[in-house]
Amino acid sequence: MLAPVLVGVSIFCFLLIRVLPGDPVLAIVPETATPEDIERTRARYGLDRPLPEQYGAYMAGVIRGDFGDSIRTGRPVVEQIGERLPRTLELVALGFLLSLGASIVLGLFAALHAGRLGDHVSRVTALVANSLPEFWLGLVLILVFFAILDIAPGPTGRIATGIDYEIITGSLIVDSIFTGNPRALVSALHHLVLPVLTLAVIVVAPMMRSVRASALEVMRSDSYRCALAHGLGAKTLLFGYVLRETMVRVPVLAALVLGNLIGGSVLVETVFSWQGFGQWALRGLLLRDYPVIQAYVLVTASFYVVAFLVADIVQAALDPRIRV
Amino acid sequence: MDHKNSDRIGERHGLTRRQLFELGAGLGLVLTLTPSGSFAEGREELAIAIPADLGGWDHDYLAFDLVGLAVMKNCYPFMIEYGVKEQGGARVMDTGTVEPVFAESWESDAEGKVWTLKVRKGVKFPSGNEMTAHDVKWSKDRAFAAKANVAGVYRLIGLSEASQVEVVDDYTVRFTQSQPSDLSNHIQIICLFVYDSEELKKHATADDPWAKDWATKNPQSGGAYNVADYKAGQEIVLEANPSFPLDAPRVKRVKLQVIPAPANRRLLLEKGEIDIALGLSRRDIDDLRGKSGIEVISSPSNEFVFMPMAMGTPPFDNPLVRRAMAHVVPYDAIVANVYNGNARRSTSPVPLDMPGHSPAGYPFGFDIDKAKALLAEAGTADGFESEIAVLAGDVAQERAAVLVSSAAAQAGIELKVTPLDPGTLFQRRSEKTLPLQIANGQMWVNDIEYLLAVCLTPTGFLNYAGYDNPRIVEIFQTLNRTSDKAARNTLFAEVQGILAADVPWLVLAQPHFDLPVSAGVSGWVQPVDGLFRLRYLDA
Repeated sequence: MLAPVLVGVSIFCFLLIRVLPGDPVLAIVPETATPEDIERTRARYGLDRPLPEQYGAYMAGVIRGDFGDSIRTGRPVVEQIGERLPRTLELVALGFLLSLGASIVLGLFAALHAGRLGDHVSRVTALVANSLPEFWLGLVLILVFFAILDIAPGPTGRIATGIDYEIITGSLIVDSIFTGNPRALVSALHHLVLPVLTLAVIVVAPMMRSVRASALEVMRSDSYRCALAHGLGAKTLLFGYVLRETMVRVPVLAALVLGNLIGGSVLVETVFSWQGFGQWALRGLLLRDYPVIQAYVLVTASFYVVAFLVADIVQAALDPRIRV
Repeated sequence: MDHKNSDRIGERHGLTRRQLFELGAGLGLVLTLTPSGSFAEGREELAIAIPADLGGWDHDYLAFDLVGLAVMKNCYPFMIEYGVKEQGGARVMDTGTVEPVFAESWESDAEGKVWTLKVRKGVKFPSGNEMTAHDVKWSKDRAFAAKANVAGVYRLIGLSEASQVEVVDDYTVRFTQSQPSDLSNHIQIICLFVYDSEELKKHATADDPWAKDWATKNPQSGGAYNVADYKAGQEIVLEANPSFPLDAPRVKRVKLQVIPAPANRRLLLEKGEIDIALGLSRRDIDDLRGKSGIEVISSPSNEFVFMPMAMGTPPFDNPLVRRAMAHVVPYDAIVANVYNGNARRSTSPVPLDMPGHSPAGYPFGFDIDKAKALLAEAGTADGFESEIAVLAGDVAQERAAVLVSSAAAQAGIELKVTPLDPGTLFQRRSEKTLPLQIANGQMWVNDIEYLLAVCLTPTGFLNYAGYDNPRIVEIFQTLNRTSDKAARNTLFAEVQGILAADVPWLVLAQPHFDLPVSAGVSGWVQPVDGLFRLRYLDA
């Protein structure tokens, strides 16, 4: 499944960005550039060749693990992905886990209190949170917790300046644990609080609604009513019936949310100076840095495919009726 | 810096409010026991917020990346530099003087064609290698091989081959231009930077003889500052170079923090976490004026804001229409409302302070009646519709466009303001398909010959108007081989007379460069090329 999806996505992306107005070469040449300089620069990046030839060369490189060189920086794209992607994955993974946990708890709570005040409050709160633009929410959190209350770090990136750390995986949490660097670990966690919260708040609502709806469906099912009528304990009902069956539906939605988080973290990254994968791609898009945009789309598409594959496997494990 | 104090108090009491927040966040993420420490520790050190990381460390191959070029201006060794002068109560670069930096001397022959550079003896790169004439030669050979930035600019002064740069002895290099040029000093101030050739040769390979791969990833040092630390995407730490041959930089350590969002740069300055916020909008800067602990340094600048008209597209192919347009621009209102008075009225396409500037270059003022009369004479008495393209997100450009649009409506001209993203804007500029647009220009070389080369001759990269006047081209070619001051001044005057008749641009304003800094930061010298020189800063 992965290969045909990626080939299709790569062709579509390759053509689309070349149809868009904007010439990457014009963004990088100096003001003294002559038409000859511009053509020479275009040739240096292979942009003077016919499109099928460009695409063929690009895909041949991708198969070898070479995504080309960034037009703006001249550096290999794969190297920049290695720098940027772990930063975003760390942020997204924590935001995802937080939102998943919160949505299960809140969804079950709302279902168990369906039609009552707790249900209404949790649903409305989640809906409001879901309606907030993430950049706005991020800025508000910065204003409140950094500018006014002074209890959160400024939006200066992933770690306080002046702290040395060693890069192994690119995830500051993992690397600081591996290298036994508690100062870096604390600072990294410190800087993760607000961006993770921002990401989690934004995506909690759809997952929570799904959990609530599934739980209510389970609670209306014959098997649940039979168990209830037989006088099974509340814990057994919750964990043995409601939670287990409710969870069957969560993986697919969670995969969708995870994919959206990876693709949509760019605004949160910008607000918190995160310098992650999304922010890198946005800059690439603005300057029409073709290799950067193509790599971003391929990597994001791969994540979607892998996330849905994992979701299918998890769903099959939770529900024996489903086969992958 | 209140923020610093609060952290220090916290240390004494064991638990800060910030730490309480982390413990109480309920996220299972944070158990912190120490403050973040993300602030400057003293006035020997400055923290500066920059909007983006640099694209790479190799000057020869760097894309047109102003952050990267600015950082390199401070950490690469440059042989010569402009002097400094006072202007309007501010310190600006004096483009009429040249100061040897790593050079001991820089002189030309009587004709201005052969230039001799003597390198200071005993200056060492951070690697311990001595800087010699061989480094200069190797660096310029590399530049010609790269066929990129330096090689492109060198063409303007008749340097097109590596053989024109010769080592005379270990400390002397000779540049032999194909023709004398009045721009030689200016161009060499841009281009005469030097690599540590012995160091780079260690990283060269058969496939990469100029060590491009290594130089792109690894910071080069040896200028006024050395790069002490670089964390990609986060910060660049510069430390004063003890081997810098002129006055040592007053600020010994500078942290350049990458903060992409302007709102965050402003906030961090207000909170005292940084000392200088670069790249803020006019509106943010105006809001910061008068705030406690913040000062705004204001300098006259050579940046100019103009509105090229597509001279190949009706109705702007008609000079009468272009003249009419020049009378519908509310010049004073733009200075007052867009720049809050912190700008000068432009009076020629040749920027103010550029030698040879004359108000005769733009004899127009806001006068709707004259505009209507000219439109009638052009056969467009009923006006017309068009659009003004601006860079999306550039508040000053958008506000100027709105003012022009409102004023033009009084003459029956309906102008729609169209924000465009950078990629689309560059493309449409190149295609000359924008009837009207607002652009900001800053000539790296303060000379009309250079202005003509890049903006007002047919092959000029910034010739957004598609301006093509054979006499202007002829004058440019004459200037290219004329060093006599009187003759050049005569040609400068003629250029401005032609521009006044042709009106390729509407010249809107020449805004001051305003820089918000924490109180006590001083010494800013306004660079002609927009690339900050940190060595002059004091705190």
